[in-house]
Amino acid sequence: MILVRAPLRISFVGGGTDLPEFYRKHAGRVISATIDKFVYVLINPTPLVDKFTVKYQKTEIVDHPSELEHTRLRAALLDLGIVDSGIEVGSFADLPARTGLGSSSSFSVALVRGLHAYLDRSLSKAEAAEAASRLEIELVKEPIGKQDQYAASFGGFNVFQFNPDDSVEILPVLLDYQMRSRLEDHLLLFYTGITRLASSVLGEQRTRIGEHFGTYREMAESVPEFSRRVLDGDLEGMARMLHEGWLRKKTLASGVSSSLIDSLYETGLSAGAWGGKILGAGGGGCLLLLAPQPGHGAVRSAMADLARHSGLAGFKEIGVRFVQSGTDIVYNNQHRRSRPE
Amino acid sequence: MEKFIRSFVEGVTRVMGNLPVREIARAINIIQAVYERDGRIYIFGNGGSLALATHWVSDFNKTVFSHNLDQETRRFQAIRLPSTEEELSAWANDVGYEMVFAGPLQNYLQETDCVIAISSSGNSPNIIKAVELARRRNVPVIGISGFDGGRLNELADAKIAVETEKGRYEIVEGIHAVVLHLITKYFQDSFDHQIRKRAAG
Repeated sequence: MILVRAPLRISFVGGGTDLPEFYRKHAGRVISATIDKFVYVLINPTPLVDKFTVKYQKTEIVDHPSELEHTRLRAALLDLGIVDSGIEVGSFADLPARTGLGSSSSFSVALVRGLHAYLDRSLSKAEAAEAASRLEIELVKEPIGKQDQYAASFGGFNVFQFNPDDSVEILPVLLDYQMRSRLEDHLLLFYTGITRLASSVLGEQRTRIGEHFGTYREMAESVPEFSRRVLDGDLEGMARMLHEGWLRKKTLASGVSSSLIDSLYETGLSAGAWGGKILGAGGGGCLLLLAPQPGHGAVRSAMADLARHSGLAGFKEIGVRFVQSGTDIVYNNQHRRSRPE
Repeated sequence: MEKFIRSFVEGVTRVMGNLPVREIARAINIIQAVYERDGRIYIFGNGGSLALATHWVSDFNKTVFSHNLDQETRRFQAIRLPSTEEELSAWANDVGYEMVFAGPLQNYLQETDCVIAISSSGNSPNIIKAVELARRRNVPVIGISGFDGGRLNELADAKIAVETEKGRYEIVEGIHAVVLHLITKYFQDSFDHQIRKRAAG
């Protein structure tokens, strides 16, 4: 049995500049940090059950991977040539999908790491990030970028730079425990209870990159400044940049925000938050706010009141801490068979 | 006599001033990630470096939590290799001295672990053998070296080279001890901080 764990992430600024329509012309940059919420993928050989069994929100039992409905699993198994039956793959997660925390890419990184381990191969962080990006973008044709695969694979607080030649540079933002803890203490994360598919928002966004090229360039260029503010512990400055980034992002596609999301965000600001943004592609998912600590109670109750009046049954605060670990094989009891050392 | 002492201290201070701070920070992040995934830290070196490794293990496994031994039951799992003299002499005698670290390491190493290799020259064949094993398994390597960093500094993920002229073991090993204590102190302060925060609710 092989168990792989991949963290979710909070992306601060630069999201969208990891799409090839942008970074092939101008280097894209994203700054993000992984959090203590994880996706787990479990892979187990089943010698007596001559099937492919996959378990996620539903269970599928098929004779050949090409019959699977789960797009990423189907593509990954076929691509790696795992077509001899007798394997089960299950996925588990601390949080549901579609929260804007990059969970589908975390799943993909964990899956490719696990399937390669099943084939007795070890992938580096960069190889796993690239393999997961290829799986999602080339094989499954998701209209997404590469930032989440890199964030989940490497782990920690990082700036990722996406170069026109398709190479990716990883620049860690080396925060000490005091800075990390201070940032955690001022951060509020709310699951809005509004769900959306990243691909539905990103699909439109991608076709309109040419129209908004200047905005993307500003977003990519704001990343080093945000990184400096993180290192300086300038929380209000960070919040202001999140706010500006969110205003820019709303102009990029029609589905990024909605009147309900806008009023949730504005309620947070009126209750005292310095700034924030909707995480991920937008259209729903999680709302991140930075707020002075004595005001957290006021922000929480104002947001919860509005959510209740708006009928958002799933609305909930999520407590988060940052983690340094990326995607890890936390258990592997398969014997290394053939590889000489 | 005082002149000799002053000149030695000046030499050490000069080298201390050039420590690769960013690489030490990377090493701390590697160890932080290992703690989060409940992995192990294997540390080794030859001669004086083996003494440093042993000293660090006892500090790291206990001193980090010495203010909070009751509150923090999950602690670090740092292990010096080889863990017994018997293992060391068995590998050296039966297989060869170049396998004294890689041999035992192969028994233990999992992908959740990390490795700290200490070598003043950065070129000891037995150290390089073990580091190559870790790299093949994609296990992160913290390399603590001296002189020009040698092969170890090329191979390591966190490249802590204490740069000096060749042969200045007394400076390199002394500063290695400082770097290792720095890592211990960082985590001691970090856990003290977290535990204070937890107690404050």
